[in-house]
Amino acid sequence: MNENILVLEGVNKHFPVNSFRMHGKVVHAMDDVSFSLRRGEVLAIVGESGSGKTTTANVMARIYKQTSGRVTFEGREISKNMSREDELRYHKKVQMIFQDPFGALNPTRTVGRIMERPFVIHKIAGRRKAVEESIDKILIQVGLEPPEQFTRKFPHELSGGQRQRVNIARAFAVEPELILADEPTSMLDVSNRMSIMNMMLYLKESHSVSFIYITHDLSGARYMSDRIIVMYAGMIMEIGPAEKIINNSFHPYTRLLKSAAPSPEMGLKRKRLITGGDIPSLIDPPGGCRFHPRCPFVSDICSLEVPAMKKIDEGHYVRCIL
Amino acid sequence: MIELDRLEMTPLLQCKNLVAGYRIKSGFVHAVDDVSFDLDRGGFLGIAGESGCGKSTLAYAIMRLLKDNATIESGSLLFKGADLAKLDEEQMKKIRWVDISMAFQSAMNALNPVLSVGEQLTDAIHAHEEATQSDARKRALEVLKLVDIPKDRFNSYPHQLSGGMKQRVMIAMALILNPELIIMDEPTTALDVVVQRTIIEKIQELRKTLGFSVIFITHDLSLLVEISDILAIMYAGKIVEYGASESLFNRPLHPYTKGLMNSFPSLTGMIKRMGGIEGKPPDLLKPPEGCRFHPRCPQAIPICRESCPSLEEIADRHSVACFLHKGAEIL
Repeated sequence: MNENILVLEGVNKHFPVNSFRMHGKVVHAMDDVSFSLRRGEVLAIVGESGSGKTTTANVMARIYKQTSGRVTFEGREISKNMSREDELRYHKKVQMIFQDPFGALNPTRTVGRIMERPFVIHKIAGRRKAVEESIDKILIQVGLEPPEQFTRKFPHELSGGQRQRVNIARAFAVEPELILADEPTSMLDVSNRMSIMNMMLYLKESHSVSFIYITHDLSGARYMSDRIIVMYAGMIMEIGPAEKIINNSFHPYTRLLKSAAPSPEMGLKRKRLITGGDIPSLIDPPGGCRFHPRCPFVSDICSLEVPAMKKIDEGHYVRCIL
Repeated sequence: MIELDRLEMTPLLQCKNLVAGYRIKSGFVHAVDDVSFDLDRGGFLGIAGESGCGKSTLAYAIMRLLKDNATIESGSLLFKGADLAKLDEEQMKKIRWVDISMAFQSAMNALNPVLSVGEQLTDAIHAHEEATQSDARKRALEVLKLVDIPKDRFNSYPHQLSGGMKQRVMIAMALILNPELIIMDEPTTALDVVVQRTIIEKIQELRKTLGFSVIFITHDLSLLVEISDILAIMYAGKIVEYGASESLFNRPLHPYTKGLMNSFPSLTGMIKRMGGIEGKPPDLLKPPEGCRFHPRCPQAIPICRESCPSLEEIADRHSVACFLHKGAEIL
């Protein structure tokens, strides 16, 4: 439990802007992101759209290469340039579940063909019979029973929840070490959400994998995870154990998220923390703390320099001068 | 004026036994089946349910904007003395947007990409009343101010706005002719929680100052119980539970409502294992016999397979359509 499987140290990801007017400028999608993931842990990354949470997942999945900073996986540094074999080995160990269950499956292939691909790509279990058995087993685990009925179907014949189950089955099929789940339930119907979340927790235990769970829903993050990272405008604002982030949230942005989340059990007509404005432009991010233009507790120093991560409790860090 | 309206006791909109659906090659899809509700002046009615439960069909039926293959089969929609279900298109045009307007789900698609925000707003004014260019412009700027869109956005095109701004422009569009009823079909589903919250607060504030009524459709029940006065839970084309949102939240009666309530993890208290609802809504071309929820219901009893329970009031302003709450004489 205490061994770190993945460590990010000061990772930046900047995208060049392809526009004549803004030539040479970059989008600061990720700035100084550092955290570590322990083996067997579920770590949630929470934030609004544009906060950099998906970029962070994509850097970990090596869909993007970081601009600078160190990513270490299982004690070995993941360099920017990997050999093809190393790349393949990494992808076998780190699998991703995407947000859109409709776009992530090839519409011209049957579920059976889709499920075979990871076995072919990663050269696992050569004999056809063995591959079929493994596919059946994982399909049963994600609740697509009987499997022979589903392997013949095309994605368009499945409901959204079933498609997401195929995505999850495919990610778990190659026995990965780490799963990156990018808002896996946000496009599903409400009645399906809980069963998908429960199933992911069950698979996480039974396959003993580590889990990065990306969401904008704070209560969902609390349900799924051991620790929570709150991101805003490309930077980590607060990181800590899930219960501490929810109950003793320190950063004004975390408190804002908490206040905005629907939670009728806290009283139907409670007073809320309200702020206007949108997430800032990441091409010219505001100087100092990136949240200061929207912060209800802003003071003069906030616009001067970026606050450093400060420890306020065991494992609980916050980027705020207050 | 608003005070006077409130004194009138008749509801603004009375929907009675409405049946609407789609005629397709293989039969008739009962998307809205025998739905009745009342909406008071200034009231906020929330309609919740999964996708495919007929929520949007109900909204489009009230606006009389159903697709070509869809019809209102029977029932009535009394709005200020007129039955919307029986009006012809000419008469409906006088009511649509002037008295009843709508904010659509995807602001990205509902706004015209080649017209500026200002042009779209003034367009709506010119389509319904005689107004000079400058009056229309003045009115458009007023409603933009109501939804906190800065003046200099008047000439912006939709793609230049963020998702939250587009949704606020949609609300401005709905407000432009000062209607009495606004139907909102999942207006905040595509937005982030913080943006969603600012838009909801804005709607509530405007409703208090302008006095319009709202029908708010969403599948997010946890949000809906916080914001609406009256809640209607729809399943497979029928209202299965109806009542004041507080009593529905504190004492959900229908197993479907309980299942929906159990689909949202909470922010406080103990983390409980939650279940959601297994399965999916039925095919409305061939809805199951008896109670439409019985194949998914964890508490189904034999009678549920045979006959369909009607919506009955069992407490003050709280009705439910379920045999479990009908008392012993029926069982």
